[in-house]
Amino acid sequence: MRILPLLLLALLLAPLPARALDQAATDRLIRNIDEMERSGGDYKALAYMEAKEKDKTDVVYELLAYRRSGDQKLMFLFLEPKSEAGKGYLRIEKNLWFYDPRVGRWERRTERERIGGTDTRRGDLDESRLSEEYAATWEADEKLGKFEVHRILLNARPEVDVAFPTVRLWVNKENGVVLKRQDLALSGRLMRTAYYPRWKKVRSESKKGDVWFAEEMRIYDEVEKANQTLILIKSVDTRPLEANLFTKAWLESKSR
Amino acid sequence: MSTTSSRARQGRILLEMAMRNLVASRVRTLVVGGIVALGVVVVVLGSSLLDSIDVGMTRSIQDSLGGHVQLYNAASRDPLALYGGTMGESVLEPIDDFARLKAAALTVPGVKQVVPMGIDQAMVSMGNVFDVALERLRADVRRRLEQGAPAEDPDYEAHKAHLRRMATLLQQELRQAREIADETSGVYKDRKADFDALEQAVQGGFWDQFDRDPLASLEFLENRVAPLSLDGGFTFIRYVGTDPEAFQKAFPGAQVVEGASIPPGQRGVLLGKLYAEEWLKLRAARRLDKIKEARELHGRKIARDEELQRWVKENTGQTRDILLQLDPVRTREAVRRLQAALGSRETDPAKLVSALLDTDDRNFDERHRIFYAELAPLLQLYTVKVGDFITIKAPSRSGYVNSVNVPVYGFVEFRGLERSALAGMMSVMDVHSWRDLYGYLTPERAAEIGKLKERAGATTVAREDAEAALFGDGGPAPAPSAAPRAVDEPALLAGSSGRQSREDLFGRRYTQAETDAGVALNAAVILDDPRRIDEIMPKLVAAAAGAGMKVKAVTWLEAAGIVGQSMGLLRMVLYLAVLIIFAVALVIINNAMVMATLQRVKEIGTMRAIGAQRRFVLVLVVVEVVTTGLVFGGLGSILGILIVHAVGWTGGIAATNDTMYFLFSGPALIPRLGTASLVTSVVIVFLVSILSALYPAVLAMRVTPLEAMQSDD
Repeated sequence: MRILPLLLLALLLAPLPARALDQAATDRLIRNIDEMERSGGDYKALAYMEAKEKDKTDVVYELLAYRRSGDQKLMFLFLEPKSEAGKGYLRIEKNLWFYDPRVGRWERRTERERIGGTDTRRGDLDESRLSEEYAATWEADEKLGKFEVHRILLNARPEVDVAFPTVRLWVNKENGVVLKRQDLALSGRLMRTAYYPRWKKVRSESKKGDVWFAEEMRIYDEVEKANQTLILIKSVDTRPLEANLFTKAWLESKSR
Repeated sequence: MSTTSSRARQGRILLEMAMRNLVASRVRTLVVGGIVALGVVVVVLGSSLLDSIDVGMTRSIQDSLGGHVQLYNAASRDPLALYGGTMGESVLEPIDDFARLKAAALTVPGVKQVVPMGIDQAMVSMGNVFDVALERLRADVRRRLEQGAPAEDPDYEAHKAHLRRMATLLQQELRQAREIADETSGVYKDRKADFDALEQAVQGGFWDQFDRDPLASLEFLENRVAPLSLDGGFTFIRYVGTDPEAFQKAFPGAQVVEGASIPPGQRGVLLGKLYAEEWLKLRAARRLDKIKEARELHGRKIARDEELQRWVKENTGQTRDILLQLDPVRTREAVRRLQAALGSRETDPAKLVSALLDTDDRNFDERHRIFYAELAPLLQLYTVKVGDFITIKAPSRSGYVNSVNVPVYGFVEFRGLERSALAGMMSVMDVHSWRDLYGYLTPERAAEIGKLKERAGATTVAREDAEAALFGDGGPAPAPSAAPRAVDEPALLAGSSGRQSREDLFGRRYTQAETDAGVALNAAVILDDPRRIDEIMPKLVAAAAGAGMKVKAVTWLEAAGIVGQSMGLLRMVLYLAVLIIFAVALVIINNAMVMATLQRVKEIGTMRAIGAQRRFVLVLVVVEVVTTGLVFGGLGSILGILIVHAVGWTGGIAATNDTMYFLFSGPALIPRLGTASLVTSVVIVFLVSILSALYPAVLAMRVTPLEAMQSDD
C-alpha cells in the first residue's frame, strides 16, 4: 500500500505537458507587445542599416526614423553615405511615399517596399500594430536558446494591407518581448526570419511610461539564402517633434 | 602547217555539224535549253535574294549597335550579348578607364572609331494619372511659393481645373462600384472615408479654398484621392549608355525619327520608337494602329477576327484614359469636333469617344482618320513627349538604387530592326547618366562605407548558428536598460544636402575628354574595312594588353547574342533552301542532258560507222552542250536579272510579319544582284550541264557502231 503515495508523488513531479495559452491570453500577449513598443507620442531614432547580398557589395545606411503615434505617421530620412543623404520615405495614412532629392520627385510605394533596397520593410521600423493587423493563435511553448518562449501564429486580418500575410512569433515568457519572427507568404513559404536579441526601453513623457525598442535586429532572407540585413538602433529620442514634420514639404526642405 | 590547217578545217566542220544538229533537233534543243535557262533563272533569283537578306541583316546589326568588333573586360563572367541573352542581361566586369582603351585601340592600323557602351535595363516610373497631374500642380505651387503668385496664372488654373474634372470622372466611375457594393462589408466601411474624400475633392468649396493652404490641399488630394485611381506603375527600359555624338557617327542605322539628336557633350535620352509605341502610347491609339496594320498588311478583317474584335471592344469600353486627359476646355472642343465628324448630336464626351472607337471593316479607315485628325491633337498620345524629363532608376553596381532624371530629346529607330522586339526596343542615353545609374564603386565610396561600418561596430552572425550565438549562453541577454538620448538632429542633417543642381547638370556641356574618362562595359570598334575583322581582332587585344588592360574581342555576330544566333539560324535555313533549289535545278538539268544524249546513241553509232573518231564525236557533243548552255544560260541570266529588277521596281517583296521584317531588314525586300554569287551560280550551272552531257556521251562511245545502229534508242 506504500506504493500508492509514491505513485502519486511521481505523477506530481513528472514534467507536465505545455499548457496552451487560451485565446484571451494570446490576444493579451500580442496587445502587450504593441503596448510596450507604443511611443504614445513622438519618437525619433537614429538607426544603422546594413544589407548583405550575394555577389554584391554591402549596402550600408545611417538614417533617422520618425514616428507619431496619434495619426500613425512615419518617416525615414537617410543621412549617410553621402550619395544617399536626403532620400526618404514618408507614410501618410495608407500611402507610402519615397523621395529622392537627386531627381526631386515623389513616388508612391507599397507596403512590400524593400526600404533602401534592403530586406527591411516599413513595419520593421514602425510602431508595432500586430493586434490591429493580425489575428493570433497560440501554437506552442518551447525554448529558444536559453529562453522560455511562447510560439504564436499570426494571420493577417481581412482587408489589411501588410507586407506578409502570415507571421510566426517567439515571445519571451519572462518579459513579453519578441525574440524571433518568421514572415511567411500566402502560400506558406517562409520568406524571412528575424531575430531581436537586444531590447531596451526609454522613458516617454507623452506616454507616461517606457517605450521598448529592439536595439538589434537581424533579418535573414529565406529565399535568397545569402542575403541578410542588420539594423542597429543607436539612440532614441521621445521628445515632441515639429508639428509639420510629416509632410512632403518638410522632407523636401531637408535636402534643398 | 598542213596539220594546223587540217585541225582548223576539222574544227569548222565540227562547229557546222554541231550547229546543224542543234537546229535540226529544234524541239530537243529548246526543251534542254529551256530547262537550263529556267535553272539559271532560279539560281540567279535565289542567290540574289540570299545575298540581299544576308547583306541587309549584317548591315542592320553592324549599323545599329554591333559595329565590327566589340571589346569587353576579359574577367567578365558572361559573354557580351548586345541584345540580351536567354538568361537576361550579361554580367560584365567594367572597363575602368575607357579613355585608355580607346587610345590603345586607335593605335591599331585600320581602326576608324571606338565607341563606349554600357547596356542595361532600368525602370521608368510612370505613376498613376492622378499622381502625374498632381505632380504638375505641385510644381506650380512650388513655383508660386518661391517666386510669388502672379495675378494671372493660366497654367496653375488649368491644372486645378483638370484635377477637379479628373476627380469628377473618378467619382462617376466609382459610383457604379458603390451601387453594387455590400454596405455592411468591412471593405465598404473602410473605403467610405475615401469616397467621402473624393466627394469633397469634387465640390467647388474645396477648390475655392485651395489657395489658402495649397500644400495641405495637395497632400489631401495625393493621400486621400489619388490612391482611388488604380492605374499607372512603371515600365522597364533597355538602353545603351554611350557617347551620343560618336554613336551616331558610328551607327548610321540609328535614326532619330522624331525630335532631335542629343546635343554633343550633353545629358539626354533618345527613346526607342518601338518601346514608345508599345509602352508609352495611349492604349486606344495603339490598338487602332494595330488594327490598321492587321487589316492593311495581313488582310485581316474585323468581322472575321476575334482578336481584332477584342481590340475594338476594349477601345469602346476603355475611354477613361482619353477622358482623363481632357481638361474642361479641351472636353468642350472634343465634343464639338466629334459631333461634327460623326454627324452626331450626342453631348456626353464618353459616349462620343466610344462611338468613334466602335469600328468595323466598313468605317475603320474613316474612324482612324478622324481619331488622328480631330481627337489626337487634343491629347498627349505618349506618356512621355520630346522635351519631358523622365526619371530612370536601377539597382547600381554598388548595391544602392540610383535614380537619374534625363531630358528626352527624341525617339530613335534602328533601321532594319524596327519591329524586332529584342533589338528595336533599345533606347540611347548619354554615358554620364548611365555612369550615375551604374554606380561604380569608387575607392572613395568603398572607404566611406567601411568607415560607417566601423563606427556602427556591426558584427556578422552566420545564419546557421544565429540562434545559438544570439540566444545561447554566450549570447547577449535581453537586458532592458533605460537610456533615453537626444538625437542631435541639426548636426546629423548638416551633411544631408545631397541634391545635385539639376539645372547645372543639364546645362553642362562635357568635353570629349570628360566623356571618355570613366567606366564603360564594352566598346564598339568600327574598322575602315570590315573584311579585315579577323586580322585586326588579335591586334586590338594586344594593344589593350600593352595599355595594361585585359580585354576580349568578339565579332559583331558573336556579340549580337540571341539576335546573332537567330540570324545565324535564319541564314542557315536560307542557305539550305537555296541549296535545295540549286540541287533540284541541277538534277533537272542533269536528267535533261542525260536523256538528250542517250537518245543520240543511234546517231553516234552511225557517225562512228562512217569513220568518225571517238574523240571527234565526244567533242561534237560537248560543243553542242556548251553552245546550248551559253545561249540559254545567257538568256536565263538576262531573264533572272530582269526579274530581280522588276521585283525591285514594284517595291520589292513586302514583309508580312515581324520575322520577315527582320529578315528583310525593313518593310520590304528589294533584291539586289551580287556579282560574285551571280557569276559563281551561272558557272556552276554551266559546268553541271557539260558534265551531265559528258558522262552519257562517254558511255555512248563505248557502244560499237553495230550495236548502236541495231538499238532502237
